[in-house]
Amino acid sequence: MLRYSLRRTAQMVVVVFGVVTLVFFILRLASGDPARMMNPPGQQEEIIQLTREKIGTDRPLMVQYWDYLLGLPQGDLGKSFHGGHPVLGELLKVFPNTAMLAVATILFSSTVAILLGIGAALRANGAFDRLVLVYVSVALATPSFWLAIVLVLIFSVHFDWLPAIDMEGPKSFVLPVLTLAVMLTPVLIRTVRQSFLETLSDDHIRAARARGIPEHRVILVHGLKVAALPLVTLIGLQLGMILAGSYVVEFIFNWPGIGKLTLDAVAGRDFPMVQGGVLVAALAFVIVNFVVDLAYAALDPRIRMSAK
Amino acid sequence: MKTKMKTNRWKLLAAFVILTLVVPLAAACVPTQEPEVIKETVVVTEKETVEVTKVVKEEVEVVVTPTAPPAPEGPSGSVRFLIAENFWADWDPYQHTAQSQGRIEGQIFDYLVDFPDTAAPPVPMLATEWKPIDDRTWEFKLREGVKFHDGSTFDAEDVKASIELASGATDKPSLTAGDWIKTTVEIVDSYTVRLVSEKPFAALLAQLQDTIIVSAEDLANNAEAIKSQPNGTGPFRLVENEVDRKVMEANLDYWQGPPQIKTLIWEFVQDPDTRLAALMAGQADAIDRVPPQHLRVISGSETLKLISVTGIESVNLFVKPGRLPLWDENPAFREAVVRSIDREGLVTGLVQGASAVATSFLPTRTLYHKDGDPAYTKDIEAAKALLAEAGVPDGGPEFELWVASGFLPRADEVGAAIAASMQEAGLKPKIVTTDLGAMIDDIFSEDGTGAMYHISWSSNGDPTPHARVYSASFAWYFGDEELQRLIDLVATTIDPAAREEATHDLQDLLWKQLWHVPLYNSDFSIAHSAKLVGLEVRPNFKTLFYQASITE
Repeated sequence: MLRYSLRRTAQMVVVVFGVVTLVFFILRLASGDPARMMNPPGQQEEIIQLTREKIGTDRPLMVQYWDYLLGLPQGDLGKSFHGGHPVLGELLKVFPNTAMLAVATILFSSTVAILLGIGAALRANGAFDRLVLVYVSVALATPSFWLAIVLVLIFSVHFDWLPAIDMEGPKSFVLPVLTLAVMLTPVLIRTVRQSFLETLSDDHIRAARARGIPEHRVILVHGLKVAALPLVTLIGLQLGMILAGSYVVEFIFNWPGIGKLTLDAVAGRDFPMVQGGVLVAALAFVIVNFVVDLAYAALDPRIRMSAK
Repeated sequence: MKTKMKTNRWKLLAAFVILTLVVPLAAACVPTQEPEVIKETVVVTEKETVEVTKVVKEEVEVVVTPTAPPAPEGPSGSVRFLIAENFWADWDPYQHTAQSQGRIEGQIFDYLVDFPDTAAPPVPMLATEWKPIDDRTWEFKLREGVKFHDGSTFDAEDVKASIELASGATDKPSLTAGDWIKTTVEIVDSYTVRLVSEKPFAALLAQLQDTIIVSAEDLANNAEAIKSQPNGTGPFRLVENEVDRKVMEANLDYWQGPPQIKTLIWEFVQDPDTRLAALMAGQADAIDRVPPQHLRVISGSETLKLISVTGIESVNLFVKPGRLPLWDENPAFREAVVRSIDREGLVTGLVQGASAVATSFLPTRTLYHKDGDPAYTKDIEAAKALLAEAGVPDGGPEFELWVASGFLPRADEVGAAIAASMQEAGLKPKIVTTDLGAMIDDIFSEDGTGAMYHISWSSNGDPTPHARVYSASFAWYFGDEELQRLIDLVATTIDPAAREEATHDLQDLLWKQLWHVPLYNSDFSIAHSAKLVGLEVRPNFKTLFYQASITE
């Protein structure tokens, strides 16, 4: 197990290094000189050059890259081109906001998925099941940016019930979480429904019923325990979707998280901040995958064997 | 019996589901205060939109006097202003040329003089009076009793340190030096200075309205600290300096009396829909850069107000020399292109607000503006005749017309409309839609392929900084020596009558030569809650909250 963990850790470092390097060079080789972006179009060359010197993009590309790599292990992610704010400090400031949004979304979406998925499975091909499948189809086809705007117009502008933007107390979670949940729940509901349908025909369920265990216990204890397992794995794998979705949602709801910080930085060619945002996303991906892999390995000895 | 029990369990489960979903939502949705009445969106006609603009212009012309009485009960309330541009820089003085940063500096710092009306003489600010000594020298009497936010006293040393740094007269590089002619400062006494420029500097007074006055002590000993903690003499002092949010508090010792707002927040919110939603939901008090598609929504609301001004910003199709030889060599071809475009249609149909068809290469609110003749209205037959005269009756070669999506309002649609007009005359534009970064790279790249670029240039209202963009210092210069001579003449002619004449000559030449395609002067619209009064918006994009207050 230790050997397997070490191997996975080494892979994780390589992946993060690859992402960091790729993003570093793509940003600089793709279009958009930040010094020119920070000046009016057509600004004099000497002013542009002074701006480059100020933000450090006048140095050779490899020198910039080497400095960046040297800083990484020390937690020095550079300073924002816009105002000189340390990137790490800004990321640490907003990361909890994104994490809270992600956790709230996962909790809400899982609850909805379990309830609707089980309900649909118990009445497979019935009216409720069909209704749930309609929801799944509609939700899958609904763009999150559109839904977010519609929700704001209804609940914030028209009824004035909920905040339109910002993170200010529990009420401000409702619309962003709903938007993300509509994106996340379809695949979760389908998984729970399918898993539950299979579980209901398992021997242990039949045995439980034969032992005279009340039906609600059979469903909620014996059935759910087994049926929820794929859901746990799926949520781990869906973290990427939540992160990607949170970029759009944070942008629209002015949510002070990693997504908004990164998108604002992209618009202004603030390279250090974009690199920081992408690094956090990459770390989140690989760490979750790492944990999922370790959990699998712990549960299934065959994984460890194959790793050898 | 068992079936009935099972049914009851399912009813319970269903109730549980409903409660789980609905109760938290309902609980969260209960309003904690009386909902604000927002009027339904009303679709108005074009004519009505124009009328709204007129009313708003009257509002803009309410001039803020320097002797505004302080609120008797002191500053109160908080105002949140959502702006559309990043805060590009830190607070290192004169080390940026970003408009957004300059606008916020106007709340924290003061200037020697101010121009409430860009086409009228300046009014006193930190300087109380001034007079020219000779062609290169101006003497300024300074205001006494002014204090910086840290409590230190403003005097001539601060003016000397600030002006010399800003104008590039010191060893330290300055990004604002391009707007200046090197100027040194002689201190006559603690409250009298003489500004001596290397050569006659006609735009000196105009440039002073953009040059913040910083403490000499800070520049000498606190250079690092003031990058994050600016220390001005202005009506507000910075108390929070986040990446996307700047929080300011009223300066109770402000020499004109404290502002009426206690807390002023400027926050960058990139998405215009988000800005509008926040304003309509009462989470913002003012929003920046209202796009054309939102103007009707706001003008149809009783709880929101709109301030639209015609900005001192020329939106042109800037043409890159050398990319389309026919353009560089043939005046008839250039005029044919201009004649093919329905500029009036762009303004009324797409850009809207207070935008106006360009009648000169210097915007309407620029000092000594003069309407060009002819008006270059759309005339496809004339354009075709001009193409024939240029020797290209078939419209000439294909050329790339670049538009930056998301930069100027409705850039994509404006580009498409222009291309359609050109094609009507037989021209062969190829639209390239991209983002601003890619466009700027193409302009300056040796391998760039674009010929025309839909971009803008803004200034403070003086002809010199505006005309500079057409000069040899910039990428848009076609080697027209007469043009450069006139630009230099306007920059160095002190006598007002002679300068006016030179500025007219310059505009006539630009209008005749048509090195670029004049399109329109931008709309600059700010929407705000009806509760916010006294907000001052100027055509040079200055947005001042000193006299603003929140009313019930």
